[in-house]
Amino acid sequence: MAGVLARRGLLAATGSAAALGAAGLGARAARAQAGGTVNFIGWSAAVDQVRAQISAFERATGIRVNYENFPWAQFRTALVTRLVGNAPIDVSWISDAWLPEFAEAGWLANIDDIPELMKYNAEAAEYCTQSMRYRGRQYGLAYYGDHMSFMVNAELLQRAGIPQPPATWDEVVQASLRIKQQGIAEYPLLLSLAADTWLIEFVSALVFSHGGRFVDERGEAVMADPARGAVRAARFLREAIHTHRIVSPGAVETAEINGLRAFGSGAHAFAIVPTYRIRALNDPSQSQAAGRIRLALMPKGGPEGTNETCGWIRFYGMTPGAKNDRARRERAARFIEFFGGRDTAGNYSMQKLLLTDLGLPFCTLPLNQDPEVQGFWTRWAGEGGGAVIAAQSARTRKKDVISPWFGEWVETANQAWQSVCLGRAEPEAAMRAAAAKWTELRRAFR
Amino acid sequence: MLRLGYDERAAALLVFPVVAVLLVVAAFPILYSFWISLHDVVLTRPLRRPFVGLDNYLRVFADERFWIAVARTTVYTVVTVAATTVLAVLVALLLNEAFPGQRLLNALLLLPWATPSVVNGLMWKWIYDPSYGLLNGLLVQLGVLERYRAWLGDPDLTLLLIANAAVWKQMPLAALLLIVTMKAIPEDLYRAAKVDGAGTFRRFLHVTLPALRPGLMLVLVYETMISIRHFDLFLIMTQGGPGDASFTLSWFIYVETFRSLRFGTGAALSYILAMATFLLSYLFIRFLGRRL
Repeated sequence: MAGVLARRGLLAATGSAAALGAAGLGARAARAQAGGTVNFIGWSAAVDQVRAQISAFERATGIRVNYENFPWAQFRTALVTRLVGNAPIDVSWISDAWLPEFAEAGWLANIDDIPELMKYNAEAAEYCTQSMRYRGRQYGLAYYGDHMSFMVNAELLQRAGIPQPPATWDEVVQASLRIKQQGIAEYPLLLSLAADTWLIEFVSALVFSHGGRFVDERGEAVMADPARGAVRAARFLREAIHTHRIVSPGAVETAEINGLRAFGSGAHAFAIVPTYRIRALNDPSQSQAAGRIRLALMPKGGPEGTNETCGWIRFYGMTPGAKNDRARRERAARFIEFFGGRDTAGNYSMQKLLLTDLGLPFCTLPLNQDPEVQGFWTRWAGEGGGAVIAAQSARTRKKDVISPWFGEWVETANQAWQSVCLGRAEPEAAMRAAAAKWTELRRAFR
Repeated sequence: MLRLGYDERAAALLVFPVVAVLLVVAAFPILYSFWISLHDVVLTRPLRRPFVGLDNYLRVFADERFWIAVARTTVYTVVTVAATTVLAVLVALLLNEAFPGQRLLNALLLLPWATPSVVNGLMWKWIYDPSYGLLNGLLVQLGVLERYRAWLGDPDLTLLLIANAAVWKQMPLAALLLIVTMKAIPEDLYRAAKVDGAGTFRRFLHVTLPALRPGLMLVLVYETMISIRHFDLFLIMTQGGPGDASFTLSWFIYVETFRSLRFGTGAALSYILAMATFLLSYLFIRFLGRRL
């Protein structure tokens, strides 16, 4: 009897628990139903941080988030096929490189008439805001903004008796030859020149620092112009690989992530690396060169050289499908504000989380005064590292080749740059080929 | 008028679901992709897709990259098929003999074939790695190389190195097909040849090789079809580079379709590749098959 009672008690308890659970789930579902859903798609980066922020967003607003992510390498294609197929996407991460083609295709909605989002421009770096604008309209709020940095391994420089980081690319060559002659590093300058999505950013940094441009203000290709184009940078690359032998011939198969690992191994003295990698490079758990990597301004190349570098931003964009439906638009706007602006408590929590966890720089100016943020840069970029980043940010240009035909042109451009690196094409001829493709695509677009 | 009996009607009814599925998943996509190849479909310009007839085909033929891709694909296919076939014949000859450990070797032979393509590509990419690759380590330790080199970064070697990775994976299946053919050769033929005074080489030339023709043709057709359309190794190991060193037809199709999002020319290229594959297979069967 006692056994029967005990079994009954257990059954009753289990039933009650199940009922309570179901009620709880039901209540959550009801809340979600009441709050609605935002469909958000991003690439497979910062996944833990995004999930954490989604949880905070759902708690604060009662709006549920369907979050999907795809690898960066396939993201553009995956997103385009979904947009063409009218998949129910409300918000997506967008690269500044895709903005013109997406806007022209009608896949992105401008946010000019959403004041609760536009108000954040007052607190954002101008460069970031400009990168989200196309034909005078703004298409989102920033996820993060970064630029290519010139980084040095201070220990290798010290061993070679080089007191200061070089200020020009000529000095980089001289310092590299010295390091090489002393047997400190076989290839002192590390460049990641694999034909992937990063290549245009690496070579743009070189072109800008050599005072060159790919296209002029009117959008005409000037990359093949020896006086103001990309030829000087291309020549520098070829000589660095084949004449001075300070860059490994393997650079053409070095992807950005592999370059990061190679620089972190301590085998190179100089590198061009996205700024956000400074955290990983100076983290002893991820890098053998930890504590020795320092930032310097991008060296100037030749008589027309500047300290300019190439920057980029990724942002939260809203689809027209979301914008044209009042309820979806409201939910999407709240989501974008929570992630790309301030959260419901009035903090730039996502931007701070991305910086402190991953080192991703932000576009939000007020955060620069945050002691935690300042402490972060001092910790990972060393004393004065934050100031170098700020100075470099002020000398950052967005890629001048961003256009509706960028995705197609960059295939030809990547091949041209690789041919130069392999010594298979003269810099002038390679840039002429890239310029011809640009002109052909530009004409076809009209 | 054709009158179907009960059996025929029952058979048609039973076959119908399969035919319907094939029409939906195979015939329709094939026909639709041909239709797309006649239009200027650029995914990033969704509001316009004009009918252009054969313009996409003409555009492809006029594109310098197409002829580069044809040349690269030809080199890759010839090297891969030739190396696979020769090695498969040698391995089949070895494994057709009885010796201690032959069964174990038979099993080991299948390992590369059982390795997934992506794993195979990654494995060889690591082996060729310019910083920590096994090949560099081995050759430097043996004193063959003075310093590590970027194997896949050398445009003169890239295709051959990818072909090597492909041969490593494809050869076991080819060897297996040839072993099966060899097992069917009557032992009497070898005995008779021996009686006639034929040595090992002449027995191979006059007995084994002619009897291997059906298997060889199967291997040639299959390997050609696989090699000419090979894609995964190029994606994983070189992405068509460095420069255009491994810019093959299948890579061109990928770039045009999924990077440039030009589905019209991508479909035209796919049809050209499919036709080339079909033609080659037909020629093999027509000229080799006649001698069977």
